[in-house]
Amino acid sequence: MNVIARPDSSPLVTIRLVWRTGAVQDPPGKGGAAWMTAMMLASGGSRELSFKQILDLFFPMGVSVACQIDKEMIAFSAEVHRDHFMPFYDVFRGMLLDPGWREDDFERLIDDAVNFLEVGLRGQNDEELAKEVLYQEIFSGHPYRRHNAGSVESLRRLCIGDLRQFYSEQFTGESLTVGIAGGFPPGFDKLLLSDFRTLPQRVAPTQAVPPVRDLAENELILVEKPARGVAISLGFPISVRRGHPDFPALMLAASALGQHRMSSGRLFTRMRQLRGLNYGDYAYLEYFPGGMFTLEPAQNMARQCEIFQLWIRPVEREQAHFALRLALHELERLVLDGLSTEEFERTRSFLSKYVNLLLRTKVDELGYAIDSAYYGIPPYPEYVRAGMSALTLESVNAAIRRHLRSDRLAIVMVGEGLAELREDILANRPSPMTYNSPKPDEILEEDMLVQRREIPMRVACAKLLPASEVFALEP
Amino acid sequence: MAAAERDVFAYPYDQHDFDNGLRLIIAHFFEHMMFHGTPEVPPERYEDGLQETGASSNAYTDDDRTVYHTTITKEDFERILAMEADRFRNLEYPLEAFQTEALAVLGEYNKDSAEPVNKLMEVLRDTAFDRHTYKHTTMGFLRDIEAMPRMYDYSRTFFDRFYRPEYTTLVVVGDVDPGQVRAQVERHWGGWQRGSYVCRVPAEPQQEGARHAHIPWETHTLPYLMVAHRSTAYSDAATDCAVLDLISYLGFSENSPLYERLVIEEQTVDLLWASNADHVDPYLFTVLARVKEDSDVPAVQQAILETLAGFAGQPVEAGRLEDVKSHLRYRFALGLNHSEAIASTLAHYVSLRRTPETVNRLYRLYETVTPEDVMRAARTFFTESGRTIVTLAEASK
Repeated sequence: MNVIARPDSSPLVTIRLVWRTGAVQDPPGKGGAAWMTAMMLASGGSRELSFKQILDLFFPMGVSVACQIDKEMIAFSAEVHRDHFMPFYDVFRGMLLDPGWREDDFERLIDDAVNFLEVGLRGQNDEELAKEVLYQEIFSGHPYRRHNAGSVESLRRLCIGDLRQFYSEQFTGESLTVGIAGGFPPGFDKLLLSDFRTLPQRVAPTQAVPPVRDLAENELILVEKPARGVAISLGFPISVRRGHPDFPALMLAASALGQHRMSSGRLFTRMRQLRGLNYGDYAYLEYFPGGMFTLEPAQNMARQCEIFQLWIRPVEREQAHFALRLALHELERLVLDGLSTEEFERTRSFLSKYVNLLLRTKVDELGYAIDSAYYGIPPYPEYVRAGMSALTLESVNAAIRRHLRSDRLAIVMVGEGLAELREDILANRPSPMTYNSPKPDEILEEDMLVQRREIPMRVACAKLLPASEVFALEP
Repeated sequence: MAAAERDVFAYPYDQHDFDNGLRLIIAHFFEHMMFHGTPEVPPERYEDGLQETGASSNAYTDDDRTVYHTTITKEDFERILAMEADRFRNLEYPLEAFQTEALAVLGEYNKDSAEPVNKLMEVLRDTAFDRHTYKHTTMGFLRDIEAMPRMYDYSRTFFDRFYRPEYTTLVVVGDVDPGQVRAQVERHWGGWQRGSYVCRVPAEPQQEGARHAHIPWETHTLPYLMVAHRSTAYSDAATDCAVLDLISYLGFSENSPLYERLVIEEQTVDLLWASNADHVDPYLFTVLARVKEDSDVPAVQQAILETLAGFAGQPVEAGRLEDVKSHLRYRFALGLNHSEAIASTLAHYVSLRRTPETVNRLYRLYETVTPEDVMRAARTFFTESGRTIVTLAEASK
């Protein structure tokens, strides 16, 4: 068990506990075990107190416990005013060390998880659905293949016994890192250590995470559902993660191509700003769920396997083929031509300073510290700044050529009328673009190229499925 | 971490004219146009400025405000401040950029359209309001968005009317010297001239009877239920607004008896909240429930109405009222955990009263609320004639 303590004089106390386990450890046929175990801890009550009693105790404090489940990490965090810290901690400790495992809580939380998949993701968030299907496709046959919440089928099959077993095997002291920051009482970190030492002090049994197989050719997954637009995500596995010598170079490349939710990237400029195709277009080197709800990345989603991906926000159905071609065109331009000196200098300056803004709160500070320990790198801002300062334009463009590509991609599109789109893509039909206003010659000439750009795709690699089938069965 | 600063421009009134049956829903669209540059700083150079300073920058528009927010390290503060002063005074954009940006707004509508709550809000406002601009969401109706490319001339009028010092508040939070910041603001913003336009939003007539609407939904969903009542404008002096804020927690928060019954015990509802969102003019007190079975919707509606009526019929327990006050106080304090959050909170309040002091007044007002105040407000506002109910359910069921 590791403790990261950052005491200061703040009136707020922040606590963040991260176990190095997660959905990747779900037993065969029991997808969602990690998710449900964590949810039972965070929203199911302790042996001493029911969930309702906990809500009543936390309510006047203005406190809630956040819970995040990913492939290899499960995090619980809370921020509390020091007026309430010890009464809060007494309850919080019980939630994590002595869970209640009540049947009615289990039923409520299973319903929540199923509705999260069936209603929230499949029904109401086409963009996130496209991203998660992309992960499922790329990691097919790999321990990452499941959604973190499992499938509707596996969730319905789980029982409390499965969760108790997951808890006793995986929530060990050895796999726990505790972060505590702010104005906590003197000596509290020692109390924390002694309390959480009651967990079994052994290494949890783990399923190994092998490298993911690379894609041999383009693959297309079309998810059909009624929708006003077509959401697109595409990508491929990448071996570069934090700590890899090429990580800073690719971080810079991804930022120049499409920094998350910023208007500076090439994709944003060329697709939205100049052509009005959609609301935004971005590029990623690391898993970034919920991008429509947040401007900054979450922490404690550290993974051994990552993908490089583009997120193309919903486009009009009639322009979907063109938008896909344009995104691939931009990716290809990046790979073939690299970045310009100006882009390189500007993006390097941006990332060297922007990294300071990511650690705004104590929760962020603790989260990044835990992730840096996972990857074996210096504190994140120092790591990024040092990495940026060592880069040259040539080294970035060489890293782009080494790791990025515009072929052998998995492409996911979610929307309506996709059978016809599938035929258009397979037949490589032209997708002429029209505008509501005059465009410069440079754009029109580029469009002429883009509208005929071939996307090599074998018929057998272009799948069309109804949204109702996604996350229905255990993969 | 380097000290972060943030400049926020709160722009207090969203404004819309009526013309040829279309609403000129321009405030939100205009927020997009503000990133299109000036003669001095064309859009590419504006972007370069943000990039070189490592700024995190974005904007949003709500019913009563547009907020532009930027977080930067303190050594770059004045450079960004000057860029912002320039675009607030000298914005220029060609027709072509305006028409292209209208498509990005349509893209925004499209990406939001899969979420039923967005449609519920759109239909609720359309049903509950007749005259006031609160009739539409900040995004607007689809037909109005599709008409946006034709509004170039009006967009210039809009800029001339509203992007003026009398409608703007600048908030700076972080490790800065206030005297120095004032001098910098004076240097870059000091010559900005006041305008002459006085915004008059049409007053909403009193609602004369219950209203209903139903939305058939094409994709898989659980049924939603929204129960709204005409509410009151934000006030840090009169108690009604503060009392309705407290009722939203007393009745429908995670520790409310109704939440315990519907979500935890009966498990017929998986989402329950209420909101008395702060607005410059009278808005709505809204309760939302997501119900697990269509057949339970009438019973859940009945339970919500009984809960609201209960506040009018008997005084709430004083201890519960104190718990809500404590919750609001501590939740507010916990939310002020970094410069951006502080600036964002202040932007909300200064757009309502143009002074951060309103926060203190409001929280003092919460402290004075009694069980009798709760009864009185419930009797005043939770009437059938001021009620609008909107439901949404899967069409194929």
